Amino acid sequence: MSNTPHPYIGFGLGLRTCYFEEILATQPNVDWFEIISENYFVDGGKPWHFLDQIKEQYPIVMHGVSMSIGSTSDINFDYLDNLKKTIDRVQPLWISDHLCFSSLGDFNSHDLLPMPYTEEALNHLAQRLNIVQDYLQRPLILENVSSYLTYQASQMSEWEFLSELHSKTDCRYLLDINNIYVSARNHEFEPETFLDAIPQKAIAQIHLAGHSDFGSHIIDTHDQPICDHVWRLFENFAKTRGPINTMIERDDNFPPFSELMAELDHARAIAPATWSTHDFA
Amino acid sequence: MTSLEQLQKDFVEMLSQDSTRFETHIAAQSGLAPSQRAEIYQNAYRIRLTKVLEQDHEMLGLYLGDDLFEEMVNGYLATYPSCAPSLREFGDRLPHFLSSHDPFKEHGILQEIALFERLLLRAFDAADSDILQFSQLQNIPQASWPNIQFQLHASVQLLTCQYSAVESWQALKSEQPPPSPEIPTERHWIIAREQDKRTGFYALSRCHYECLKSIQSELPFGFVCETAAHHTESEEQGMMQVMELLQKGTELGWFQSDINLLQA
Repeated sequence: MSNTPHPYIGFGLGLRTCYFEEILATQPNVDWFEIISENYFVDGGKPWHFLDQIKEQYPIVMHGVSMSIGSTSDINFDYLDNLKKTIDRVQPLWISDHLCFSSLGDFNSHDLLPMPYTEEALNHLAQRLNIVQDYLQRPLILENVSSYLTYQASQMSEWEFLSELHSKTDCRYLLDINNIYVSARNHEFEPETFLDAIPQKAIAQIHLAGHSDFGSHIIDTHDQPICDHVWRLFENFAKTRGPINTMIERDDNFPPFSELMAELDHARAIAPATWSTHDFA
Repeated sequence: MTSLEQLQKDFVEMLSQDSTRFETHIAAQSGLAPSQRAEIYQNAYRIRLTKVLEQDHEMLGLYLGDDLFEEMVNGYLATYPSCAPSLREFGDRLPHFLSSHDPFKEHGILQEIALFERLLLRAFDAADSDILQFSQLQNIPQASWPNIQFQLHASVQLLTCQYSAVESWQALKSEQPPPSPEIPTERHWIIAREQDKRTGFYALSRCHYECLKSIQSELPFGFVCETAAHHTESEEQGMMQVMELLQKGTELGWFQSDINLLQA
């Protein structure tokens, strides 16, 4: 599967049900919305009623949480069929999921469990990514996850692992800068080292989000405003890069929509001027 | 078994069975101990699934109270670890769990409240389809009526209760104390998505319930009328009941626009 570059479409928001009606009523200045793919693995009702209207007005991208691409269990083709059906209906500009495993056999953790950074895991992921992309007939973007542990077995850093996987498969990443910050704090590395190691052509999208800081460690909750550290990381990273699709992601403790818009506008304001030139080709 | 397979197996056993073997895979780092790092994932797993049951079964939670709800969640998680990719399905076996495990099985209303809440969820995102219009009914030739096959809208769910499950759910929703669980006779309910996409529910007479069950079983209109007659005192009364049901169901969107004419 050849990975053609994804179009630059600007600054987006995660589309969540509590904002459906306000979005339709106010048509906010958002360049695109990202949906959680699995929320639309249903036949009808409110989710589709609203999405069908919103997708008439905004570009949509799809972000999954349950593919479990790193699992050593057989690939779940029922899941991929559901995903395909949803892709056909939504017609997203791109799709993404997480570089992790979440299920094994019949058990589903509903969590984004980290992979060990080993040659074995690299080969396993490369093989599975090819199968999935061939089945879906489109590239799959992978997001880095937050982690709270380091495996004894790991042979390289997370950023080396991502770079190696990109070299092997030409895959692209959704870099969640909050997740990088969370992992950096939990594992005591410099987040800039991670960000600097990922080549521009390997990045399709950025997530900006919040977390909960417990002092001794940080938990990636995506239910808080984006903190100053993450804003600074984004600002400094953006200075060194060409335009990358950037999104504010909030998954819980939903604030008034205006607060998310304020975060989106802040991201626009601190990104380089070149990032405001949209190319909707 | 490869080392990656072993690591993932140990991780999953740590989450689902509290096994400690996984900790040997965790590198020592400053700050938190390996056991604390594992615990973050254990807590996240438990919190996430508890939250799903809290959201999907809000009134059941109020009915049970915090302690019993926690006992239920612990028992359910241990008996039915999540196996579907979607969290939407995680609680599907909760009514069965409540009807088959102590101390919940002694209180039949619990299983019924849980089932009612599952059916509300099922109706919420069932398939869309065009709904039956009165004009379609007017266009059916009189001779065809006995062989007409109506279809229920995909969101329609039918429920029979031996206890005051729905009334208790309504009371709790209105922040009122629930009534006694005992009721003199069983009660019948229809749950369906309304045209504004909200989910509604209505009490049904036994006659209307049985008629809707006949339609659900794809029986032609003639059989539906026979069912109605069986639950009333005469064919005429039965027919009046069926017409009343058709009118109400058409108004409320309980029937699909697709109607079939079966060969006589």
